[in-house]
Amino acid sequence: MTALQVSHVSKSFPGVRALHDVSMTMTAGSVHALLGENGAGKSTLIKIVTGIYKPDSGTVSMNGATVRFANPRQAAAGGLGVVHQERNLVTRFSVGENILLDRLGNRALSLVDYASLHREAEKWLKLLDLDVDPRTIVSRLSVAQMQLVEIGKALSLQSRVLLLDEPTASLTPNESTVLFRILRRLRDDGVAIGFVSHKLEEVFDICDRVTVLRDGRNACDSADLSQLDRGDVVQMMIGRAERITTRAPRPRTDAAPYLELRGYGSGAGHRDINLTVRPGEIVGLYGLVGAGRSELARAILGLSKQIAGEVRVLGRAVRITSVAQALHDHGIGYVSEDRKAEGLILMHSVLANGGITIWRKLANALGLLRDTTIAARVGPVLKRLELKTPSVHQIIGNLSGGNQQKVSVAKWLAAGVRLLIIDEPSVGIDIKTKAYLHDLIHELAEQGTAILLITSDMPEMIDVADRILVMDSYRIKGEVENDRSYDPVSRAIMGLIHERAAA
Amino acid sequence: MAAIRDSALTRAFDNDWIGPGLVSLIAVVAISMAQPAFLSSFNIFVLMSAISVNMVIALGQLVIIGLGQMNLALGSIGGLVAISFVGVIERYGVPVPLALAFALGIGIAAGMSSGYIIARTMISAFIITLAGLQIFKGINLGITEAQPFYGVPEAVKTFGQASVIGPLPWLMVPMMICAFAMWYVFNRMRIGRHILAMGSNPHAAELSGIDPKATIIWAHAISGLLAAIAGLMLVARLQIGQPTIGDDWLISSFAAPVIGGAVLTGGRVSVAGTFFGVVIIAIITQGLVMFNIDPFVVQIVLGALILWAVAVNRLREVRIARVQARGAGA
Amino acid sequence: MAHAGADRPIPPGSAPRRMSSGMRLLLGNEFGLAVLILLTAATFALTLDGFTSPFSVYTIGRQIGIDTMIGLAMMAVIVTGGLDLSVGAIGVCSAMLFGWLMQVMGVPVLVAVPLAVLFGASLGFVNGFTVVMSGVHSFIITLASMSIFFGVMIFLTKAAAFNGLPPQVQAFGKMRVLPGISPLLLITVAVCAALVVFYRYSTLGRQMLAAGANARAAELSGIRTGRVIVACHMLTGLLAAIAGLMVTARTGAAVPSMAGQLGQDWLLPAFLAPVLGGTLLSGGRVSVIGTLLGATFINIMTSGLLLMRVGEFWILAFLGMMLLIAVLADRTRQIFLTSRGMI
Repeated sequence: MTALQVSHVSKSFPGVRALHDVSMTMTAGSVHALLGENGAGKSTLIKIVTGIYKPDSGTVSMNGATVRFANPRQAAAGGLGVVHQERNLVTRFSVGENILLDRLGNRALSLVDYASLHREAEKWLKLLDLDVDPRTIVSRLSVAQMQLVEIGKALSLQSRVLLLDEPTASLTPNESTVLFRILRRLRDDGVAIGFVSHKLEEVFDICDRVTVLRDGRNACDSADLSQLDRGDVVQMMIGRAERITTRAPRPRTDAAPYLELRGYGSGAGHRDINLTVRPGEIVGLYGLVGAGRSELARAILGLSKQIAGEVRVLGRAVRITSVAQALHDHGIGYVSEDRKAEGLILMHSVLANGGITIWRKLANALGLLRDTTIAARVGPVLKRLELKTPSVHQIIGNLSGGNQQKVSVAKWLAAGVRLLIIDEPSVGIDIKTKAYLHDLIHELAEQGTAILLITSDMPEMIDVADRILVMDSYRIKGEVENDRSYDPVSRAIMGLIHERAAA
Repeated sequence: MAAIRDSALTRAFDNDWIGPGLVSLIAVVAISMAQPAFLSSFNIFVLMSAISVNMVIALGQLVIIGLGQMNLALGSIGGLVAISFVGVIERYGVPVPLALAFALGIGIAAGMSSGYIIARTMISAFIITLAGLQIFKGINLGITEAQPFYGVPEAVKTFGQASVIGPLPWLMVPMMICAFAMWYVFNRMRIGRHILAMGSNPHAAELSGIDPKATIIWAHAISGLLAAIAGLMLVARLQIGQPTIGDDWLISSFAAPVIGGAVLTGGRVSVAGTFFGVVIIAIITQGLVMFNIDPFVVQIVLGALILWAVAVNRLREVRIARVQARGAGA
Repeated sequence: MAHAGADRPIPPGSAPRRMSSGMRLLLGNEFGLAVLILLTAATFALTLDGFTSPFSVYTIGRQIGIDTMIGLAMMAVIVTGGLDLSVGAIGVCSAMLFGWLMQVMGVPVLVAVPLAVLFGASLGFVNGFTVVMSGVHSFIITLASMSIFFGVMIFLTKAAAFNGLPPQVQAFGKMRVLPGISPLLLITVAVCAALVVFYRYSTLGRQMLAAGANARAAELSGIRTGRVIVACHMLTGLLAAIAGLMVTARTGAAVPSMAGQLGQDWLLPAFLAPVLGGTLLSGGRVSVIGTLLGATFINIMTSGLLLMRVGEFWILAFLGMMLLIAVLADRTRQIFLTSRGMI
């Protein structure tokens, strides 16, 4: 029985076509995987289904009737439960109250009947095998328990369709096993479950059907997963059987390290980190969400305290305590993964964003500087990156994701950094710009810039990095030399990550 | 997964009112030892009258703090209500119960209108209530031309001066009703829980099906009602309809909740803590008077108390976050 | 404590369009205000006797100078997305120090002025430092500091005014540079020019805008956001002190009550002028000229209404309505422009 059907949905954003004629059919009593690389359109699709975005064309229907939810609240009331990646609980409230937050009473001044509320909540907790007193304050639960509470909350709304966005991202393997057992039971009870994940093992473990998105289109629409193997799915996700890299492995450089961490520990929780990046070298830092990679980048920039080991820049022991110091004294730049929140100042112009790193350098004795001075320095870089903008005075929030990303790289190039840390460079940008950025990273390395590349996108990692450090639980688990052969390298990487689970 | 149950002890330590409660107790003991007149029944009467009015004022701000907003117009609503109450009695001879209903209605309407604009436009509560402050104050002065109304009925005057038993003033009665009601609202009523949920995590609250607009309007309406009650209590206490009522509420309305452990970003409030916050402020003010210290020092002490309370709350939040991080890691 | 437009979504689906600079000017706050000012001024001049009298023009201009300065003081901290409730207290404290230095210590005027202004900046430093160190919103910090600053000042001065200032001070306040123009207005115009240059051409000014628009992005781009925010508060203190001195010159005495209880009377002009002028409360964008125009508009309206014999108390309520209308109009304009993909 069809529980949720997405038919021919298209959606465009300024400069980007996010979804093009996408369809998906979820049936009751089945677990449906929604797969795709970063930027393939999964999250846009979820946002359309839950009413956050309106589709430009196409329809969404539940149980055969077309639905148009105006917001996630309506979607929830209509029987569509979503468990988002970020936690959406009121942590100071009890478990029971969180589950039934919208049913505390009929009127604003109704009294809350806690006894029956907790009794009701207990039912859902039992269903989820969660041995927690419903009176427990949520902030005292573990992340996995909070996740189950959110599932309980979605189910308590009589949801017959449940979407889970990367539910295992912050769970241990044991916790994931528990979650899967529960999901199977819900499936057997006739719930249609949508499952978004990056981990293919899990998908094959639990899902029956699969929809793969690539570049905003269906690579497959609700295919039977038992007819497919891992290779088929990967092929659909990345568009070819084995990633044929256009790049030959680069000769190993033996230049003196630009940045060296020895036995480094940070206040963010990193322990025993050993890492070197040499000029002209592209070092990849791979790991799952929550492994502590971006946090390591921030720690290097001085945003977390160094509590152990040493940091050396060009062989000299240093202690970096602020980004300003990292940039101006040590030539280190950082392209953030979260372009909108911390990479760019969206309400300011292209020029203001591109030149922000060099204002200090360009100012005259009075601390004054002019747009023309900045443009003289930033302009050539923007030109080199082939930035498409009506003018450098354009507000950057109006540019496409790819062009925004170019500016967030450009500001570091303008500053002439010697070490560039690039965090998830291709999130939310189109394929062409992505390829262009990969070329650019190589070009920078050829010119002697040291590069530390953080990405969860395996093909990107294998296409770009020279050698790959694998990180898990805030430690470096090992190193993989990258010879650009997709299967052996990716297997080696996954092996290092899962060592913990096996141990 | 292990079962987690909160022990009574953990809950007690999590309470916001124990710290300020102890401080109040120590302050009372210390001052009365140095100055026995502090515990004279006259002094207790004066002290309790001040505490009663200030508690209702603080509760009016506490609702909005719970929501993660602020209400600068609290005092001007109280002032407008006070002069309207006495005004309609003096000029039009309206009977007291009717005037009372009218005055409370003004308070609710004033609060609701700021709430409506904030909910509708999502412009910051600060700027909307700043405009409200000016508008209500302007209307107040426009009506009174800065002259007080003297026609306060005898019943109201008596209410403001009489004691229930011993040194305890009648004014304590409305205060205690308000305090218990607000405790009930925050802990047992849907609207109160929704206000706190909005204050702690607006995104989660909205996804859970809470109507943010209605919640904001309700909170401001309750705040307006409490401001009105406080304004009327001041009329009873001062025995005249002063247009300046409410002018000096701003600082103390924030100080007491913050001393009582409220977090200004919302979601965490304590009625009992706020009460002790009010008590601490009253004792210090009264103490300064008893020791013949310049009353303006009160301003300095109030400011310092706010900073101290903010620092304490901040430290506590940091410590809780650290404990939780450790718990999650284990 | 979210401020206006803190997370205004840019609706996807609206393609960005190029907007000509002429269009931008027409839709800008400054242009609309300028038109409004001309219209109201013309209406009042034609209908009200005495509106254009030299005395009326002179006093309106002088008051515009003072209100603009108060507005600029608040604007300097609104840039960060914060606010400073203690502007009035800082202004009065600096003015009282100014009076004390001259009357009690016999310090010459030209020395007392920079000392008082620096004192204002240092009070601003105290605010900024506390805000940055504690990580608590500036609202509650400056609420406390306004109480402390004002309390200490009253305690030290025993609430008595300094009436025996050197005659130059009062003469300056009553002087007419050109017929009908107060030097106080000229000071304000000069400060406006300096601030325009500061926000447009100086490193620190640009850093303030960047830190205000998106503190995390600014920090990750190598800006020492903490220091920049402290600098914003210092600038606020400095401008508030100048405003305090201007009021002292106008009255000819340093009076503790010149900004009302705790300096609260300054709050309305402090927010009204920048908000009318198009400064975003969420930070990251300022309009110096807009603030000047905002203060101008308020004072023209106020004077007109006074001449029409509207009671001065009702004008308070009217100004509150103006603030409300200004933020509502601003919100409507933003929604309109966003829906057209113009910003």
